[in-house]
Amino acid sequence: MVVPQLPSAPTQVAGILSRFTGVQVKDYGGVGGLKTVNVRSLGSEHVGIFLDGIQIENAQNMQVDLGRFSTDMLGLVTLYNGQKTSRLQTAREYAAGAAVYLDTDNYHFFPDGGRVRLKGGSFATVNPSVTWKKELAPFLYLRVNGEFLTSNGKYKYPCFDTTLVRENGDILFLRLEAQLSRWYHRGNWNIHVYTYGSERGFPGPVIRRAQGFPFSAERQADQDLFVQGRWTQDWTDRYATSVRFKYANSYTHYNTHPEKNPMALPYDLHYRQQSAYLSLAQSLILAFPWTVDFATDLQYAGLNSDMGQFVTPRRLTFTGALASKLAWDRFRTAASLVYTGAWDWFKTPSAGGWSGEDSYRDTWMPSLTLYYAPWPWLEVSAFAKRTYRLPSFNDLYYSLMGNARLQPEAAAQFGADVIYSGRAKAWSWALRLSPYYNHVSDKIVAIPTSSQFRWTMLNIGKVDVTGLDVKAEVGYEGTSLGVNTVLRYTYQRALDHSTPGSQTWGNQIPYIPLHSGSIGLTFRWEQWYLNWDTVLTGSRWSRSANTADYYVAPWSTSDVSLTRKFRKYTAGIACKNIFNRSYEIVQGYPMPGFNWMLSVEYNW
Amino acid sequence: MKKAFLLLLCGAFAFCACQKDRVPSKDSTLDGKTVDVSFISTSAQKLFVLNEGGMGSNNATLDFLRFSDGKYITGAFKKMNPEIAAGLGDVGNDIAIHGEEAWIVVNNSGIVEVISAYEETEIAAIKVPTPRNIAFDNTYAYVTSWAGAYVTYGADYSVADSKNPKGQVYRINLNTKKVEGSVEVGYQPEGIACYNGKLYVANSGGIASQLPPTYSYDNTVSVIDAASFKVEKTVEVQVNLKIVYSDGTGNIYVTTLGNYWDIHSGLYMLKAAAPEQVNWVADYVSVSALCGDTVYCIGTDSEYDWSGAPHTYSAWSVTGGTKKALSLTLTETTPYGLAVLDADTFLLGDAGDYFNPGTVSCYYKGTKRWDVTAGVCPGHFALY
Repeated sequence: MVVPQLPSAPTQVAGILSRFTGVQVKDYGGVGGLKTVNVRSLGSEHVGIFLDGIQIENAQNMQVDLGRFSTDMLGLVTLYNGQKTSRLQTAREYAAGAAVYLDTDNYHFFPDGGRVRLKGGSFATVNPSVTWKKELAPFLYLRVNGEFLTSNGKYKYPCFDTTLVRENGDILFLRLEAQLSRWYHRGNWNIHVYTYGSERGFPGPVIRRAQGFPFSAERQADQDLFVQGRWTQDWTDRYATSVRFKYANSYTHYNTHPEKNPMALPYDLHYRQQSAYLSLAQSLILAFPWTVDFATDLQYAGLNSDMGQFVTPRRLTFTGALASKLAWDRFRTAASLVYTGAWDWFKTPSAGGWSGEDSYRDTWMPSLTLYYAPWPWLEVSAFAKRTYRLPSFNDLYYSLMGNARLQPEAAAQFGADVIYSGRAKAWSWALRLSPYYNHVSDKIVAIPTSSQFRWTMLNIGKVDVTGLDVKAEVGYEGTSLGVNTVLRYTYQRALDHSTPGSQTWGNQIPYIPLHSGSIGLTFRWEQWYLNWDTVLTGSRWSRSANTADYYVAPWSTSDVSLTRKFRKYTAGIACKNIFNRSYEIVQGYPMPGFNWMLSVEYNW
Repeated sequence: MKKAFLLLLCGAFAFCACQKDRVPSKDSTLDGKTVDVSFISTSAQKLFVLNEGGMGSNNATLDFLRFSDGKYITGAFKKMNPEIAAGLGDVGNDIAIHGEEAWIVVNNSGIVEVISAYEETEIAAIKVPTPRNIAFDNTYAYVTSWAGAYVTYGADYSVADSKNPKGQVYRINLNTKKVEGSVEVGYQPEGIACYNGKLYVANSGGIASQLPPTYSYDNTVSVIDAASFKVEKTVEVQVNLKIVYSDGTGNIYVTTLGNYWDIHSGLYMLKAAAPEQVNWVADYVSVSALCGDTVYCIGTDSEYDWSGAPHTYSAWSVTGGTKKALSLTLTETTPYGLAVLDADTFLLGDAGDYFNPGTVSCYYKGTKRWDVTAGVCPGHFALY
C-alpha cells in the first residue's frame, strides 16, 4: 500500500496496517499504548517488520511496537503473507513467517525541498514535524526528518458503571532521522541514522480498585539509536550483490513509582539491548529465466539489566538462504531453503561466569511459490512455507519463568491467491480471494510448575488456522474527479489443538475474531480529498476457554478525513471514531471515543 | 490460601447451629452443577472457594459448595451483588470467616471485602494497599500488606524507603470496619496467624529478591504483640516464607517456598513459648491446609524440574511436630489450593494452565470422587 502523504492520513504505521486483510492489530489504547500486529493468527513473534529490508529486532520479547514508526518517512508499506520473490533479499527476509515492509528509500525521486507540518487536536496532542531533502551533488541525496509529539493521553471511557478519564497515558517523544544515498551506474548506497527518545506513562488495565488508589503510575523512558545501511552493486549484467549492516542500541527505564501508587510493586529497572547485523546477498542470473540467490546474515544481540538474577543473555545468529527462481512472462516459480543457527550464552545467577548449556538451536526452513497468469486479467498463485521463530530472551531466561531448553516454534503455512483485475478508460477494478491454512506447532506457552510462583515455558501449543481473505476494489480516476472503494473481509478459524481432552481443545484462540473486515472510500475532487474508513471486528474471546466471562464484544469504528490543497499549503482535518463508540481491542484496555486532529503543512 | 484461619474451616466450630429460624438466604435460588456430598460429614453449610483470577484481568470470583443439596455455585459474589459492576476485583488472595462474615482479601484491587457469609451480600469494602492475607482476634482483623511502607493511612502517602520498602500489618476494627493503624514488618509479608495475643507474620522478600542492593529473600517471622501492636521479635526461619498456621496448642507452623534453585520448599515449626527455636519438619510443600491441630501438605521432590515432565505428588500430615505419610494419589497437574474437611475428605484446587478456569476436586479416603469447573486459579477455601 502506498502511504498517502496527506497530512490528515494516519500518522502511525499501525493505523495503516489495520486496513490490510488478515491483519489483527493489538492496540492497548491511546497515543502511547503498545501496538503490535499478528498476521493470519500467527503470533506477532512470527511477523518480521523490515525497514528498508533490514529487520527491526527485539531479542528481548520479539514484539515490535509499531507505535514508534511514523508514516512521515515512509513511501510504501507492504505485507507479504507468502514469500517475497525479488532479488537480493537478506536471509532474514526468507526466514520470517510473514513480513511487513516499511520502505523509506524512495526519496531520491522527489524534487529538492522541504515540508513543515503541524498537527494538533484531541488528547492535547501537539505534533510538529519537518522534512528537508537536497541533492548535495549529482545523484547524492540527503534527507533529514524530525518529529516531536506531546500528548496528555486523556480520554473518557466507561469504567464499569461510571465514566472516568484515562490517566497516566501521556507521552512525549522526539525522533530525528537522516538518510544519505548515492545512486550511480550499476549501483547505489544508503546510510540511515535513527534516534528516538520518549517518556510515557502506562495507564494500566481497568480493574476494580479502591477509591483513591490510582490504576497505575508506571512510567517508561526509551532511548533508541540505530545506524543502518546498504550497498548494492551490479557487477555484471548477471551478478549483483547487496551488503547491509545495522547497529542498534536501545535503552529502557521502567519504573512503577510506588511512592505515587501504593498498589504498585516496587520495580525500578533498566534494560539495555544492543545488536549488530551484517548481511551479504548475492544474486546470479544463470541463464534466462533462471535466477539463483544466496544470502548470508550474521547477527549479534545482547541484553543487560539490573533486574535480580538477570542472566545477561547474548545471542549470535547465523542465517543462510539459498533461493532459486524461474520467471517467464506468465509463469513464475520460486523456491528457497533457509538455515538458521543461534548460539546463546549467559551468566548463571548462582555459579557466576558464562555458560552456553543447551543453547545451540538450529532449523531448516523451506518455501515454494508458484505464480501463473493465464490471461492479463487473472493471476493465480500459491505458496507453502515452513518457518520457525527462535525463543526470545524472555522465553528462555526470564528470571522466574525461563526455560533454557526451549526449541523454536514452528509455523507451516499454505496459501493461495486468485486475483481478477481489469481496467477500462478511467475505471479499474480488482477482486482478490486468498484462502489459507496455517499450523503452528511447538508453540511456546507459559505454564506453571509445582510452585505457584515459578512458571516455565514449554513447546506444547498447537494451533490450526483456516482462513479466507477477500478484497474487492473499484476505482475511477478522472481529471478532476477520483473515486476509490475498497471492501475487505477476513474469516479466521484459529483453533487451539494443544491438549486433547482439555476444556480449551477445539476452541478459538484468544483475540482472533471469526469475522472481520473494513470498508474504505476515497473521493478526490479538484484539490479536495475525502476519506472514509470503517473497520469492523467480530466478537472474540480473551481466553481459549470460550465462555461468557471471557467474551469480548464486537466493535466497529468509522474514521473520516478531509483535506484541501492550496498551492504550497495543505490543510486537513481527521476525525476518528466519529460515532463515539466505546470499545476494547484488548480486554481491560478501553480505546478512545470520538477524537480529531487538525493539520497544516507548507511545502517548498 | 492455606491460610492461618483454616482452623475455622474444620467443622470444629458449630456457630451455624443457631441459625435454624432465619429467613432463607437470598442465595438459595442460585443454581449450579450438582456434586456428590453424601459421604461428607460436616455441620457447615457451605464451603467457599476463592478463585484468584489473573493479575490485571479483574476476574477474581467467589464460588461455594452448598452441602444441603450438593450444588457448586460459581460467581456468587457477582450474582448476589449485581450493583457492584466491577465484580469482586483483581486477584483474590485470601478468604477467612469471622462469625457471620466472610472477609475476602482482593490483592490488586486494594480492597478487603467483607460480605455476609450467609448470603454473600456486601457489608463493607475496606481500602488497604496491596493486601495479602488475613487473621483475626476478638477485636481486630489483621491484614498483611506489601506496600504499606509508602502509606500513612488516609489520603496522603509518605515515602519511607522508595528502593526496597518493608511491608506492614494493618489492623481493622471488626465492629467499625475501619483501619486503626499499622506496624512495619519484614519484606513482602504473606501469611499471618494469631495465637494467645501474638501475631506471627511470614516475610517472603519475593520482590526484594529481585531488587538491589541485596537481591535476597527475606527469611524471618515477625512476632507482633497484639495489645501494644509492636514487633516483639524477629525470628529467622528459612528463605521465602509463605503461610503461617497456629494449631491452637502453642505450635506455630510456617511454610516456605524456597529459592527455586537449591533451597527447597518446606514446613518449619516454632513454639509460641520460645519462638527462637525453629524446627525443620519436612521439605516439599506445594499446597497445605490446617484442620484441627493438624497441618496437611502436598508436595513433590521434583519441584525444581522445569522440563515439563509430570510431577509425582505425595501427601503427608503433621500433628504436634510429628510427620505422618498419607495415601493420596493425585490426578491434578497443578495443585493450587487445599482444604481439609476431616482426615478423610480433601478438596483440591487445580489451576490448570493458570489462564483458563481451573477445577476443584474432591478426594475421599485417598481417591478422587468428583471434580467441577471453578474460576481461574482456585486457591483459597473457607468453611461456613
